[in-house]
Amino acid sequence: MNKIDKILKRIQNYFKEVKVKEFMSSPVISIHMDRKLSCAKEMLRLKRFSGMPVINDEERLVGIISVEDIIRAVENKNLDSKVFEEMSKDVVTLDEEDKITDVVRNFEVYGFGRFPVVDKEKHVIGIVTKHDLMTALLSKLSILYVHDVRREPFVATENFRSSLTGINIENEVAEFKFYIDYKDISMAGSGASKLKKFLLSKGFPPKFVKRVAVATYEAEANVVIHSGAFGVIKAYVEPYYVTVRVEDNGKGIEDVKVAMQEGFSTAPDYVREIGFGAGMGLPNMKKCSDKLMILSEPKKGVIVEMNFWRREDENI
Amino acid sequence: MKISELESFGFECLVPAEGEVFHGYVGDLLSEVMAHAESESVWLTVQSHVNIVAVAVVTGIKAIILCGGCKYDSETLKKAKEEKIALFRTKMNSFKSAGKLYQIGLR
Repeated sequence: MNKIDKILKRIQNYFKEVKVKEFMSSPVISIHMDRKLSCAKEMLRLKRFSGMPVINDEERLVGIISVEDIIRAVENKNLDSKVFEEMSKDVVTLDEEDKITDVVRNFEVYGFGRFPVVDKEKHVIGIVTKHDLMTALLSKLSILYVHDVRREPFVATENFRSSLTGINIENEVAEFKFYIDYKDISMAGSGASKLKKFLLSKGFPPKFVKRVAVATYEAEANVVIHSGAFGVIKAYVEPYYVTVRVEDNGKGIEDVKVAMQEGFSTAPDYVREIGFGAGMGLPNMKKCSDKLMILSEPKKGVIVEMNFWRREDENI
Repeated sequence: MKISELESFGFECLVPAEGEVFHGYVGDLLSEVMAHAESESVWLTVQSHVNIVAVAVVTGIKAIILCGGCKYDSETLKKAKEEKIALFRTKMNSFKSAGKLYQIGLR
């Protein structure tokens, strides 16, 4: 069982009632059965799909064409044949009312990469891949938020894996470390100010450093205002790349997705009076960083990890 | 313009600092200021709490003008000296102060 399967298995119990229609991808790009295989190949390549449903004149599902089918056709030099000649005909479909547990079981039993969702007339109304499943589970679980400017479209699963294992980070020694004192709001921003000076001293350009500093200030202020616990800022520095990790052991975030919304804030009045609590902290962090990952559950603290790449116009 | 010149336009200087400012920003929400203020700015606000100094440091704001006759906390004055952020104050409100600075060339 690979890593994704293990994670899925562990968390699916919490979401037994989630239905396919809540997380399937739709509309679906399908291909007509009479098209040539070379056409299917191009579509898969352009869309970066690993497979897609095949439909007939009535737009009903008749099969699935996958990358494996294409490879087989290439080997046999059959790319001029029609899609229906090479497609897999024994398709396992889902109903939009099916539960998430059915889907997980399907993935286990059949080992297919995707399951089309059809209505009673066999029209394809959606499709479910492991990516869809993961994204659905994560958003329900509300423990993770990932924002990546480079790979927005297909980032969720990839980063979930790499960030949870966290190998690239955990084994390194932080070059910058600052302990956040949550009891004193007047200290909020001290860590970010120090980090700014540290990065400038390392020769990073001011424009870049400003982004890092502003994002770090926001994360630091969040620890002071919300966590009710001590926190730490760590920075890992590479010539063209800075990673900032802000961790605390405090209250955690109830729902990261909601917290990401601009204007959403749970800040108490006394901090609002001194200019905090506008609900702009997380959106600001997202804006300033190139990649932002937030991992949190109620009572389990928050880990914010931000990556910053030096952009070309920032090298002065 | 030089930070020290601000005094001649009726802004009372409490903590002087070297350097120049070219831009200005008005705001009392710290996140909003950090998100939008340019580096080398003068910042008009009614927030007097010590956190404004850290906001200035991370944002690259060189001078803060406390408007509407508000008073700085003593901690703020101390911190600003340490961080070399200039502090001014004025009885004028933020709107009028901004108008004045715009008139003398800040953008």
